[in-house]
Amino acid sequence: MDINRRAFLKTAGAGLIASAFPLSLVKLAFGADSPVQDFTFGYISDAHIQQIKGDKFVRNWDMGLIRAVREANLLTPRPDFFMFGGDLAQLGKKEELDHGLEIMSRLRGKVHYVTGEHDYYLDLGEYWKSKISPLYYSFDHKGVHFVVLSSILTYDNWIHKNWGDPMQRMLAMARLDNPDGSPFLVGEEQLTWLKKDLEKIAKAVPIVVFSHSPIQKIFKPWNFWTDDADAVQALLRPFEKVTVIYGHVHQIQYNQIGNISFHAVMATAWPWPYPESYTQLPNCLPKLTVPMNRADPFFERDATGWQFIDLSSGKTAMRYQLPDNTNRAVAYNTRTGRPEDLNYQEYQQRIPPQIHY
Amino acid sequence: MRTNKKLLGVSLAVLTAGIFLTAAFSIQAGEFTQSDLERWDKEFMSVVTKGDKLFHSAIGTNKVSCDQCHPNAANTHPETYPKFQQQLGRVVSLFEMVNWCIQNPLEGEPLLADDPKMVALLSYIHYERRGVPMAPGKH
Amino acid sequence: MKATNRYLKGMLRTGVLAAVWGACVAIAAPVGLPPVPVPENNPMTPEKVKLGDKLFHDTRFSATGEVSCATCHDRAKGFADGLPVSEGINKLKGTRNAPTVINAAYLRTQFWDGREPTLESQSAQPFLNPVEMGLKDHEPILKIVRADREYVDLFKKAFGKGGDQITMVEVEQAIGAFERTLIGGDSPFDRYYFGGEKDAMSPAAIRGLNVFVNQGRCVSCHVIEQTQALFSDNRFHMIGVSANQMPRDLDELTAAVEDVKQKGTDIAVLTNPKTSSLGRYAVTRDLTDIGAFKTPTLRNVELTAPYMHDGSHKTLEEVVQFYNNGGRMNESDPLPELLSGGIRPLNLTEEQQADLVEFLKALTSPQFVQK
Repeated sequence: MDINRRAFLKTAGAGLIASAFPLSLVKLAFGADSPVQDFTFGYISDAHIQQIKGDKFVRNWDMGLIRAVREANLLTPRPDFFMFGGDLAQLGKKEELDHGLEIMSRLRGKVHYVTGEHDYYLDLGEYWKSKISPLYYSFDHKGVHFVVLSSILTYDNWIHKNWGDPMQRMLAMARLDNPDGSPFLVGEEQLTWLKKDLEKIAKAVPIVVFSHSPIQKIFKPWNFWTDDADAVQALLRPFEKVTVIYGHVHQIQYNQIGNISFHAVMATAWPWPYPESYTQLPNCLPKLTVPMNRADPFFERDATGWQFIDLSSGKTAMRYQLPDNTNRAVAYNTRTGRPEDLNYQEYQQRIPPQIHY
Repeated sequence: MRTNKKLLGVSLAVLTAGIFLTAAFSIQAGEFTQSDLERWDKEFMSVVTKGDKLFHSAIGTNKVSCDQCHPNAANTHPETYPKFQQQLGRVVSLFEMVNWCIQNPLEGEPLLADDPKMVALLSYIHYERRGVPMAPGKH
Repeated sequence: MKATNRYLKGMLRTGVLAAVWGACVAIAAPVGLPPVPVPENNPMTPEKVKLGDKLFHDTRFSATGEVSCATCHDRAKGFADGLPVSEGINKLKGTRNAPTVINAAYLRTQFWDGREPTLESQSAQPFLNPVEMGLKDHEPILKIVRADREYVDLFKKAFGKGGDQITMVEVEQAIGAFERTLIGGDSPFDRYYFGGEKDAMSPAAIRGLNVFVNQGRCVSCHVIEQTQALFSDNRFHMIGVSANQMPRDLDELTAAVEDVKQKGTDIAVLTNPKTSSLGRYAVTRDLTDIGAFKTPTLRNVELTAPYMHDGSHKTLEEVVQFYNNGGRMNESDPLPELLSGGIRPLNLTEEQQADLVEFLKALTSPQFVQK
């Protein structure tokens, strides 16, 4: 690696009028015949469309998704595609999914969907599969292999408890701090599928995994947790460049475990506190993470947002678009081998809203 | 002579019984016992439990509940009150901010400070933050 | 070097300007406001103020000889001009409503989109705008102030400078010093809230204050604090005014940005309504700022109709109705998609809305009321 090249992965600023960071692209040496190209994709997640009654939905969450879609349509140059990161609905109802899909239909670009637990536990994914897509699948794009997991499954004996009514099961999973909840799983079926899927992929091909749950073990009481994270990580270990992008946590998080970079995406609906703010139980929030600004609840969009990801030579730079706030950018630093915030990584560079929790 | 002795004996018996009874029922002011403490703690926890339930239910008009943004009442910072609350432009106690949340994100009606529902919510919020040192005025 | 730049940019964003500005020399504070911040490089003197006053009112600094700062910032009209959008030389219309100069000294940025950081730097811009004073450059101004006998005398007394030593820096500093004397507290609200005078405000205004800090949600942006009230948070918010004039899609947005790049922000935003509708976005190019305008102070708002960045609201009643419906004039209008998260329907009763208007009328400083 040429030490004169900038260590940080920078992203194109010239055409991107939507960006507040005039960064320039650094093309890492990757070989003339490499099929891997640099490109951008957008990521909108955790809309939590919530029905009040009939065609009345919680205005606050509606506005979050509407704004994200509107801003995403103003991004230039256009990203190659968009992801939706899960939790489109709050309680998995047809009305909520339909209303969310209607708003998403205004987005200009192809969208791939990831399931969240709020989408799944009312009917175990039936409406999702019929209306949107399979729950897990993979696709390739410009030399990168993308995997979408349904990582919000859980143990069968919990799913098939005597709930009385499926909505009770949905409500139990919807309550984040439920002491009688059940940890997220990718599960045997998907592990088997994933193993087969990755067998055909060369080790040098960059892999990006889209998941709703973190594929890490961060804070079990709020299901910032995937019980079989180790098994999934083991399947990804042989590859040179792996990124896992996850939703569910409604906050900025990022981490590096071995060869895998982890990036959390923001919710369009509402922010969640960092686990350290629940002092009764210990947590394993990645030490690397510089927190997002603590939200001012007066501004409904504060600490919510969407993001676009620049993939350059298979490495990720995530650019958070935060309304009513200053945008953040977290990119892979090839010198230190881990994702870092472009402005605030060193402790003395952090500002009061990031440490005053 | 014998009547007096009898009288004395009865008086003594009554007096002794009285002392025993007094000791047994702690009529002395301030001398609360371990069992008092345990009982009163249960009384408090019964209200915390009510608050827990309210906190996890839709107490406004739009189906949103407190725990959606504050799982386990996290990020409510009860130890920092009273404080200058930017959203209200003045120094307030916690119950005023709880009311702000009920009125704004939950689109509901505010509660009086001594409404049993408010007392229950405050009890739960404080209980989930037990052990954190007081820091009144901290933003 | 790059890391330092990033650090400095970060500091700037969090307001290092505020730190510098806070280290200034103060002058007497009215009730309800802190001492006026004065920059260290432009201390207040009576001579500077007198000079600044004259410059502010001098119509010779325009292409037609008919427009001065006071044309749009008229003492008789609350240091605004009573028009929806201001008119410069030959009655050419701009796109924005003239903000009052009263208490502008307390604001951390100037102009509706905050494109200038100080009173000094703001004062030099309108001279060069084709729909304001219409000069090609500042040379005509300097020619006059270096030669006119009264100015020669005033500049000598204010700065100890003459001839070519007089530059736009001195002109800006004098205007800035004059503007720093245009401060106003001591309104009925101030006397009631900070002065403890229970009958300084009417019962309706007192009820209106209650709406302002509670159900009306006004206080979060139009700041009142425990010991002072600037009525502005110095931030930029998209509240939905004229939302239908904003760029509708990427093509229109791109065109508006091109306009800014070609003409420079100051000229582009005042000569093209679509560009003007970008608000703070024209300055920062950050999507969070699209259509966002600076929270103006509400002090003396009774004197400065019409309202909002394009003067589209004629009365305070209209303004309150607009906020009550959550960023639109009528409940049946669609909610603007890029609305600030702070704006939402308020469900105020007719009486509450009327009380709120009465409260707003209690924010007038007596010295600026025209008899």
